[in-house]
Amino acid sequence: MLPSIYRGIWGAAVHTLRTSRGTPPCRFLSTCEGVPFGLADAESIFALSSGHGRCGVAVVRASGPASATALRCMAGVSRSPPPPRTALLRSIRDPISKEVLDRGLVFWFPGPHSFTGEDSVEFHIHGGPAVITAVLQALGSVPGMRPAEAGEFTRRAFQAGKLDLTEVEGLGDLIHAETEAQRRQALRQMSGELGHLYQDWTHRLKRCLAHVEAFIDFSEDELIEDGVLNQVDRWVCDLQAEMERHLKDERRGERLRSGVQVVIAGATNAGKSSLLNTLCQRPAAIVSPIAGTTRDIVETALDIGGFPVLLSDTAGLRESPDLVEREGVRRARERVEQADLTLVVADCADLPSDAQQAAAFLQEHLRSVLPPQEQPETVFPADRLLLVLNKMDLLPEEQRLELDGELRRVSGFPPVCLISCHTKEGVHDFLTVLHSSVKTLCGDPLSGAPTLTQARHRAHLQQCFSAMAQYQRYRDLDLALAAEGVRLALTSLGRITGRVGAEEILDIIFKDFCIGK
Amino acid sequence: MLTKKLPPLQRFLSLVSRRASHAARQQYDVIVVGGGHAGTEAAAAAARVGAETLLVSQKIQTIGALSCNPSLGGVGKGQLVREVDALDGLCGRAGDWAGIHFSILNRSKGPAVWGPRAQLDRQRYRTFIQSELLSTPRLTVLEGSVEELLLSETNPEEPGTHRVTGIRLANEGTPISASSVILTTGTFLSGSLFVGQSESPGGRIGDAPSSAGLSHTLRERLGLRVGRLRTGTPPRILKDSVDLSLAHLHPPDSHPTPFSFLNTHTRCKPEEQLPCYLTHTTPGVERVVKESLHLNCHIQQDAKGPRYCPSIESRVVRFPGRQHQVWLEPEGLTSDLLYPQGLSMTMPPDIQLRLIREIPPLHRAEIHTPGYGVQYDFVCPTQLSPALQVKSTQGLFLAGQINGTTGYEEAAAQGLWAGVNAARSALSMPTVALSRTESYIGVLIDDLVSRGVTEPYRMFTSRAEYRTSLRPDNADLRLTLKGFEEVGCVSPLRYQEAVRVRDSLQEAQAALQTLSMSNPKWRKALPDMRMSETKSTLLTGMDVLQYKYVTFEMMSSAFPESLSRHMEFAQRLKIEAVYKPHCDLQKKEIERIQKEENMSLPQDIDYLTVPVSMSQEVREVLDRVRPSTLGAATRLEGMTPAAIVHLLNYVRNAAQRERRTQRHQKEEREREMCAKEAS
Repeated sequence: MLPSIYRGIWGAAVHTLRTSRGTPPCRFLSTCEGVPFGLADAESIFALSSGHGRCGVAVVRASGPASATALRCMAGVSRSPPPPRTALLRSIRDPISKEVLDRGLVFWFPGPHSFTGEDSVEFHIHGGPAVITAVLQALGSVPGMRPAEAGEFTRRAFQAGKLDLTEVEGLGDLIHAETEAQRRQALRQMSGELGHLYQDWTHRLKRCLAHVEAFIDFSEDELIEDGVLNQVDRWVCDLQAEMERHLKDERRGERLRSGVQVVIAGATNAGKSSLLNTLCQRPAAIVSPIAGTTRDIVETALDIGGFPVLLSDTAGLRESPDLVEREGVRRARERVEQADLTLVVADCADLPSDAQQAAAFLQEHLRSVLPPQEQPETVFPADRLLLVLNKMDLLPEEQRLELDGELRRVSGFPPVCLISCHTKEGVHDFLTVLHSSVKTLCGDPLSGAPTLTQARHRAHLQQCFSAMAQYQRYRDLDLALAAEGVRLALTSLGRITGRVGAEEILDIIFKDFCIGK
Repeated sequence: MLTKKLPPLQRFLSLVSRRASHAARQQYDVIVVGGGHAGTEAAAAAARVGAETLLVSQKIQTIGALSCNPSLGGVGKGQLVREVDALDGLCGRAGDWAGIHFSILNRSKGPAVWGPRAQLDRQRYRTFIQSELLSTPRLTVLEGSVEELLLSETNPEEPGTHRVTGIRLANEGTPISASSVILTTGTFLSGSLFVGQSESPGGRIGDAPSSAGLSHTLRERLGLRVGRLRTGTPPRILKDSVDLSLAHLHPPDSHPTPFSFLNTHTRCKPEEQLPCYLTHTTPGVERVVKESLHLNCHIQQDAKGPRYCPSIESRVVRFPGRQHQVWLEPEGLTSDLLYPQGLSMTMPPDIQLRLIREIPPLHRAEIHTPGYGVQYDFVCPTQLSPALQVKSTQGLFLAGQINGTTGYEEAAAQGLWAGVNAARSALSMPTVALSRTESYIGVLIDDLVSRGVTEPYRMFTSRAEYRTSLRPDNADLRLTLKGFEEVGCVSPLRYQEAVRVRDSLQEAQAALQTLSMSNPKWRKALPDMRMSETKSTLLTGMDVLQYKYVTFEMMSSAFPESLSRHMEFAQRLKIEAVYKPHCDLQKKEIERIQKEENMSLPQDIDYLTVPVSMSQEVREVLDRVRPSTLGAATRLEGMTPAAIVHLLNYVRNAAQRERRTQRHQKEEREREMCAKEAS
């Protein structure tokens, strides 16, 4: 299952270059649907442009023809366009309820002299999560506005000729980084209850479409009765009802699950729980000299230099006959897979005394912790991995220096910190390294913006919901247009759960019906 | 068209052989091997484009023969027929000439998925095709069996590791040369026929097997990857031995709709049409199949057969305990045979008889020809370009079942397109491609060349993602204009007709747009419109025509001065009005995709070593498939967005480097010239 979002970026990649088009790398089908046309048509986009985390001012940017509308109905700027590129102090209102959301600066950048080359608006508002969420939601209710896909602003900038070809290589890297971040985020969201729900809907919609298509392509000369469509009617009705309930529910439950996901992993008894306790300065996790003390995941929310961090301590990775511990290890591995940053903890006392051998040992250790698909060929991802060597107090000074030198010499190693949770030696330096890693990650527009992702999911669900209404509207008038509704619904949902194509639909048809002409 | 007198077959044959006598000494632009649906369309299209064309067929008599079912069109397939006709192909007009039972399938499901279909008179169909080929300028027909392809040095200007320059016929040894060769050998490539436990070489019963030389050349000398597929045909039954009173009568449409945009009516008069009959299998059929499975080689082999045209054996095995439909179809106006659609089988003939007699109307039936199975090689179509040219071999084109498809319509569509491109390439014009956003032919070819096949490929409307725009009613607007202006395969006559249709439709739509009135006024003008909405906004004629109960006829009688002259297009205007909002939505998306499809990738990139940041997996996929456009590359399995960006960047830079080098060379030359002049 590969996230929806991939497609957005992929689209980004490709649009960027005005030439190609995207599909998620996992599931490829003959169909060439990219952005569902409902989305492609809604040309204006918005996003939180400033980094995430605690900040005084947040910048929300909108681009596209509906920007002018947003400016008018949210910032009360009268009909004549305001002076371009000039700060205006305004009350920012909800376009429907007219409730004041915040008071902030508004900038109007008429195209083509803007970043994207299109008409754009920037709202500089107060940085609290409540204000940001409210403004994003308000923008979402402006007609023609939708949340931006990742990289979409950059893509539009490229389309407008604002980036030149020499920057494309860099853009490719950016897109790669974004897709990686998105893959992890989607994995996080999809492994939960919500993921199961969306998958289930996708599965059911696929079946609906397959049955409608079977009725269109085969019913005339085959044994496919009209009953097939009545069944689809019921399925679509049920799905709509469920989706409607969900859409209503979600608004209440929309909570900020923000924060960089930092996971502590490593062998048993390396001192992972001690590290957690050291970082959060309270005994959040039970610490004991017995290997395998931590079995489930212990989570704690932290503030590292102003950035929100969700720190998880996991079970030590080892083969165990114990069922509970085995489950703990499975969860630990899953968590590492979803992590933005992994702290791999190793026990200094386990290291071979020869520095070169120790380096090789650590390299092997890192490989055993990382999930297989992230196994690097030569270089470990420096921005997503920190190696923490605990219990440095057990090493003689001389060996310490030698080891440190060796690890710096060997290329391809992630940043290494020698610490002792016991004596607190090295902890300060470690915090500095951790802080800079988290900061880098927060600069990543995606890992820190779950509100936006949720807004995007919401937009897709909403679209899916209304596409199903198209099925009902055309059910008796024109089955081709009705089927188009189901197809559109599936495409919209597919942007969350992964794409579904013609071959898959045909597979269901041939499984469910005896087609024999 | 329909009033034209066809020359008698005898004369055709004599003309053909006269031409054949000097054919062997000539040089042609295009040689087409095979005279089935793909071959005949290919030859005719190549000649239309302007190429001197030679059609070589094993047996001239079987040119244009319907080897399997006596019908044309259907859901999805009907769209292909309309598109082939819009590009001035043969099969639509041949269907109108030979049809004896016309019906539009899916009539109740929306015009986008209507499936024009006809039962055909085999004899008439063949006669029409042969007569058309005969009257096509620049086209020569020759009877013969192709022994091998002539290969020569490649043209260094073009990609490819081999070059085909002609053919050598069996038993003659005289080479015939051509710039392009199109193979449309159907099931004859290493074909084997199966009945019961016996197996014999061949591609169709009654025809000699094709020479092993061709198959060898493709596989061994050109190194093409091939796969194996199977298909089958039912026994033909003597009509007199069937008790049709026990089957359900299935009448044709009372007003036959022609396939061709050029025809206003079919040759067969409405009342002359013949009916079809529907009956069902019984538990007895299932029993016979199960008892005889051990006597059935074909069904035990593992070559892939189609899931949607399965033999009765596989239907019974896969879905036991059910009644399966069997259609009894006429084979012609005067034919004494019936074609039992749905009873394709390969068991020994005596058991076939036992089986069909388990079906009530057939309980005393006699078999004229037993059913049989065919297994044959196909060339994996991912080795072809969107022009249906073999990527590694200059001058070689493939079309039809040889590419892993099934069905007359699929074959005809590929044949036409291969013919167009073979001719263009022979005449030094650039090859052309059809996008999947503009035609079913484009969907078919794109699916074949970018995804390949794992079972015989058949067209379904669900394969076309822009189905609501690619309708049977508008194939002329989509393809005829382009076919004349850009492709060169459409006659001026047809083009003028398409232009007239386009202009009239535009004019009529404009007239409808200008009729703008409020709701109550519309209700007054059209009392039967049954509009329930009470919105007070203004509605145009196009808006109102979308309503279920509103017809163009109604509007025309209400506003005769502006609308009545467009009555000829009443149905098309109604369809246009209903689909317009959806098609407008699709348009943007389609435009975007077309841009991508227009970005072509050089065919000679060494993906395995190209100095760009791409994973080994992506490199291997690209190397294997060698997509011809960036659009096709994005559809490949395992492609990542970042890889696409890097690839594009590389290609663009390469193009820039190339241009720079050329400029330098030019400057260099100019400098030399100047220096010479100065001295």
